[in-house]
Amino acid sequence: MTQTDILSSEQEDLRLLRESARTLFERAGGSDRARKLRDAGGGFDAEMVRELAEAGVFGVAVPEDQGGLGMGLAAAGIIAEEVGRVIAPEPVVLTIGLSLGLLRRLCPDHPKVPQLISGETVLAVAWQERGPGGAPADATCRYADGKLTGAKAWVAGAAGSQGFLVVTQGDDGQVLVLVEANADGFVINKRAQADGSSLGELSFSGTPAAELASGRAVQDALAEAVVDATALAAAELVGLSERAFEITLDYIKTREQFDKPIGSFQVIQHRAVDLHVMCEVAQAGVGEALAQMDGETDPKIRARLASRAKSRAVTAAKKITRDAIQLHGAVGYTDEFDIGLYLNRALVLSAWLGDDAYHRRIWFEAREAEGAAQ
Amino acid sequence: MTDWNAMTDAEFRKEVRQFFEAEYPEELRHLPHRPKFAEIEHWHRKLHAKGWVAPAWPTEYGGMGLNAAKLLIFYEEQQRWGVNRGRDMGVQMVGPLIIKFGTQDQKDYWLPRILSCDDIWCQGYSEPGAGSDLANLRTRAEIDGDDFVINGQKIWTTMAHDATHIFMLVRTDPDAPKKQQGISFLLAPMDQPGVDVRTIKTLSGETEFCEVFFDDARTPRENLVGELNKGWTMAKALLSFERIFIGSPSLAQNALGQLESFARGRGAFDDPVFRDRFAQAALDVEDHAALYARFADQLKRGETLGADVSMLKIWVTECFQRITELMIEAAGPDGGSIGPLQVGNVSVDVLASFYKARPTTIYGGSNEIQRNILSKAVLGLPG
Ligand SMILES: Cc1cc2nc3c(=O)[nH]c(=O)nc-3n(C[C@H](O)[C@H](O)[C@H](O)COP(=O)(O)OP(=O)(O)OC[C@H]3O[C@@H](n4cnc5c(N)ncnc54)[C@H](O)[C@@H]3O)c2cc1C
Repeated sequence: MTQTDILSSEQEDLRLLRESARTLFERAGGSDRARKLRDAGGGFDAEMVRELAEAGVFGVAVPEDQGGLGMGLAAAGIIAEEVGRVIAPEPVVLTIGLSLGLLRRLCPDHPKVPQLISGETVLAVAWQERGPGGAPADATCRYADGKLTGAKAWVAGAAGSQGFLVVTQGDDGQVLVLVEANADGFVINKRAQADGSSLGELSFSGTPAAELASGRAVQDALAEAVVDATALAAAELVGLSERAFEITLDYIKTREQFDKPIGSFQVIQHRAVDLHVMCEVAQAGVGEALAQMDGETDPKIRARLASRAKSRAVTAAKKITRDAIQLHGAVGYTDEFDIGLYLNRALVLSAWLGDDAYHRRIWFEAREAEGAAQ
Repeated sequence: MTDWNAMTDAEFRKEVRQFFEAEYPEELRHLPHRPKFAEIEHWHRKLHAKGWVAPAWPTEYGGMGLNAAKLLIFYEEQQRWGVNRGRDMGVQMVGPLIIKFGTQDQKDYWLPRILSCDDIWCQGYSEPGAGSDLANLRTRAEIDGDDFVINGQKIWTTMAHDATHIFMLVRTDPDAPKKQQGISFLLAPMDQPGVDVRTIKTLSGETEFCEVFFDDARTPRENLVGELNKGWTMAKALLSFERIFIGSPSLAQNALGQLESFARGRGAFDDPVFRDRFAQAALDVEDHAALYARFADQLKRGETLGADVSMLKIWVTECFQRITELMIEAAGPDGGSIGPLQVGNVSVDVLASFYKARPTTIYGGSNEIQRNILSKAVLGLPG
């Protein structure tokens, strides 16, 4: 096979992957499903998790020799876009980026790895703490002698997870430990989010925990996993923005005022074009960033690329979902129309792992550091 | 009776401030939602006893008779202390219309009831097919003996589920040559079999507006305000006042204050980029206030406002939105969280502010429509 053959067969694989993910979500009910789950109190559908697993979704970026598909981050990004299109609440990015991201790097032989790939289990990842600056040095949550004490914050997917992967301070630097959801001395406070999901505030008091890894490797693996999840969240926002734009485009073609479709007013047309261009730029930029991350091993460069992706995706998603409401008029402000669900999901995904302003700053700092190193 | 207008601005401001600070219930300050009447009834009673329910109305009708300058001060102080406007559609919208176009009987009957909140009003203009194109409204009212019989549907009627009366634009002559003709202004009681109210949930889960269905609902003929088929012109006459009200700096100023304490508490001002964005927003608000003052001066001189007043609404609502977006930015990882966020001893409901800001560019004449007005009526552009 020539180089171009390989490339185009890779393209073909990605196209098929997108198609199967889209079909799966559409057959399950598209964005209606997200609405139903939200109305039922948030959380996700365990059956859907199993179906996604069967389609190979969770193992997409896990190397083949570790039981995955080995298709890399670009492929995972395509799945994340499809998740975003139907605002599915299942922990797809959380699992691919964070829980599997950590375990496959630190302990690929752990039995939880195949369980996560097969959708038998879902694990949330906790590493941040509230407090001044949030720097590791300020961290107060401690692990010693099989027990965990302290607090962790902003834990996505805390509701519905069977267990928690906690990165925290041990006697000797950072450790990765596993806490069962029903462990003693473990309390989860749920902070309601705009989209009906919640972020967990976890508190541990002498909670039994199993150490999975320790030392410098933990810190590095966490940073890598967060970078991957950041890039995938960007892809999810791209899918979300695309769908929000499509819904809006349909609406302005059909809603009539002054005896014509509002999409016939030039100001609305120009606005629609701007949003369309913004969508395309975001898809191109985020897609390229993820593809480059696949070919890059330097963690600093990968982090810069993830920040490029997230900053672009958040900027686009904010603008597109907010303008979408405006173009809908009052119906856009109701819960009955789907467009509000997209706005709310965009709020949550934008705040998670850093918004656009944050990532522009990180991007600039990374770029300066690379320049200085050369 | 006190002649408020004879006071110096500073004296008047002090008087208003003292009253709010002493009497307004702490737990109602900066309410993040639109209250039902029962929630603020106690406060309304106090305001009513003081004679301060209708600051803009002439004293002969039970208002404070404030001139434009004093009125601005009143609203500024109200906003500054986070005093809820209450259920003020009667005071702000129907009252002025009755004062201007109503008969003596209508004034005698309705105005005191508006002040006492015996009647609580909602605004029935918009319909599913008549939003920006309001003149397209289809709800019919036909004369039948001593009554009008009303059939049709209104939508987006704010707080209709907690109102006793609706003031509405209805079609009374479907054969008029132009859509704007054949529309009348009608008052109707909500508590009757022919009126059905269905609440609509907003995207933030609040119940704030409704659909109102009329199925052979009735209202006495004397509830027609002004002439038959002249409702459109009357409603428009009120618009210029409404536009300066809706273009006032208060919402944005209030949000800016919240942003400042929140951002300071969160340490967001350590970031020079954030400082710059904050400064932009603060200056946007300050300079808007200067522009607003110009229009207010026009009112003070007794001039009527032109179409150019639309620029206030465009500027301030978009500014309000940017400020609430900055709050979300300052909230960082809590930016998607519902409910109040604590910083030091202040608590700020960031998302509530964000949600409140969204529809300000939609209602009261959408910002696109305001731009259309400015481009044609002010800039003289063709089309
Ligand atoms: C929170 C809220 C409270 C409300 N409360 C009330 C109330 O109490 N009583 C009441 O009667 N109504 C109320 N309304 C309704 C409000 O007046 C309408 O939403 C408004 O008139 C816009 O109409 P629409 O929603 O049908 O949007 P549409 O008119 O369908 O407009 C949709 C989009 O098209 C744009 N558009 C329309 N025409 C043009 C044009 N010619 N050129 C360029 N762009 C155009 C609009 O700007 C908007 O972005 C409320 C609305 C909201 C959101």
